[in-house]
Amino acid sequence: MHPDSNLVTLMTRYQRGDFSAATDLVERMSPQLHRFFLAQAQSRTDADDLLQETWLRIHKVRHTYRPGEPALPWFYAIARHVRVDHYRKSVRTAVGERQLEAMSKEVATVPKESDHADGLNALLAPLSESQREVIEMLKVAGMSLEEVARATSSSVGSVKQKVHRAYKKLRETMSTAGFRNGQNGGLS
Amino acid sequence: MKDDEIDDVLTKAARAPYDLKPGMLQRVADSIKPSLRPVRPLPPTWVMAGAMVLVCATVSLAGATRAGFFGFAKMDLLERLLVFPALVFLAWAAASEFVHAMTPGSLRRISPGALLGFGSAALLAVFAFLFRDYQTDHFFSIGIVCLLTGFLHAIPAALLGWLLLRRGFAVNSVSAGLLAGVLGGVAGVGVLELHCPNFQAAHVLVWHTAVVPLTGAAGALVGWTLRFRACSSARERADPK
Repeated sequence: MHPDSNLVTLMTRYQRGDFSAATDLVERMSPQLHRFFLAQAQSRTDADDLLQETWLRIHKVRHTYRPGEPALPWFYAIARHVRVDHYRKSVRTAVGERQLEAMSKEVATVPKESDHADGLNALLAPLSESQREVIEMLKVAGMSLEEVARATSSSVGSVKQKVHRAYKKLRETMSTAGFRNGQNGGLS
Repeated sequence: MKDDEIDDVLTKAARAPYDLKPGMLQRVADSIKPSLRPVRPLPPTWVMAGAMVLVCATVSLAGATRAGFFGFAKMDLLERLLVFPALVFLAWAAASEFVHAMTPGSLRRISPGALLGFGSAALLAVFAFLFRDYQTDHFFSIGIVCLLTGFLHAIPAALLGWLLLRRGFAVNSVSAGLLAGVLGGVAGVGVLELHCPNFQAAHVLVWHTAVVPLTGAAGALVGWTLRFRACSSARERADPK
């Protein structure tokens, strides 16, 4: 059974006002959404804030989910919107729109507090923000290429290209670090 | 390293246990409980897109009724059979993509920029095929009037389209604004085709077609402004200084 099918049922019950379905959804989706944010955020506190903000947004726009449609891309599309908004706000405050890209690159390359706490983040650290996002959705959330395309409002071809580039970069980094599956716990 | 090995490494890392702060999930659940009521999901895409095409047609017909159906009266059968179905098709494509832009997690068939490009190119192709009078009289003075007429009729069409989709949620307000603008622009071109009796190729190709990119750009600008204002107000709430 596809992991999404149960989510579809829960979402339908959530739209009908079922509190137990809402609680189940929060329990089921929060860890992976938090991980998604932690891979991009500066700190765990930021990721906590983003997660809470995302749930408020999800609750507000829960009627935009159409029963029967894949639920995971819907959740991730909203989470992505919240994350992008968060960066825009923080970057505009300090340095203006142009430095958003520079900051994203910095976030993508400089090891952070969270990297030491999570092996996956350490593995994905060399990737750009968009590549990391796609790999997170594919590997952590277990989404298909089409679902990732839905979540990122892009085409399947563009997602495939990002995955290809991400794997190329990972292959180079892992080979340089002498990484072998089962022999090393991470890149650091 | 092979792709399979990278896959294994990533999958293992992704399966590692992941804990959240204790109490956080309960806090989230408690925060949504007071406002948990049944909600009505958005109608299917084809229903909303159909409603928006009807809105466009209504705006075009209303505009032409007020100004006169001189263009429609002057057209021959082939021109009518090519111009209006092309406009309906373009309106349908813009409306469907607009609905997708306002529904998180929807599969996008074409990017908003590509839709604007292909839509404008399709209109240019139809007009270039049909209108072969290469004379130009009062190119700018008449053209500006047509462009303004199209633009002014595009505004209510785009606003009504936005109103129909007010329950949606734009994950990218610039894209959504651009699509609303294109949709309104098609209604504007509809008014011009029904009303304007000037069939000079240069006039139709430049001034009638220009309504769509102009309104698309205006819509994108409105979307960007809304996003900028939302970010600014959120920042002020977070840091009142």
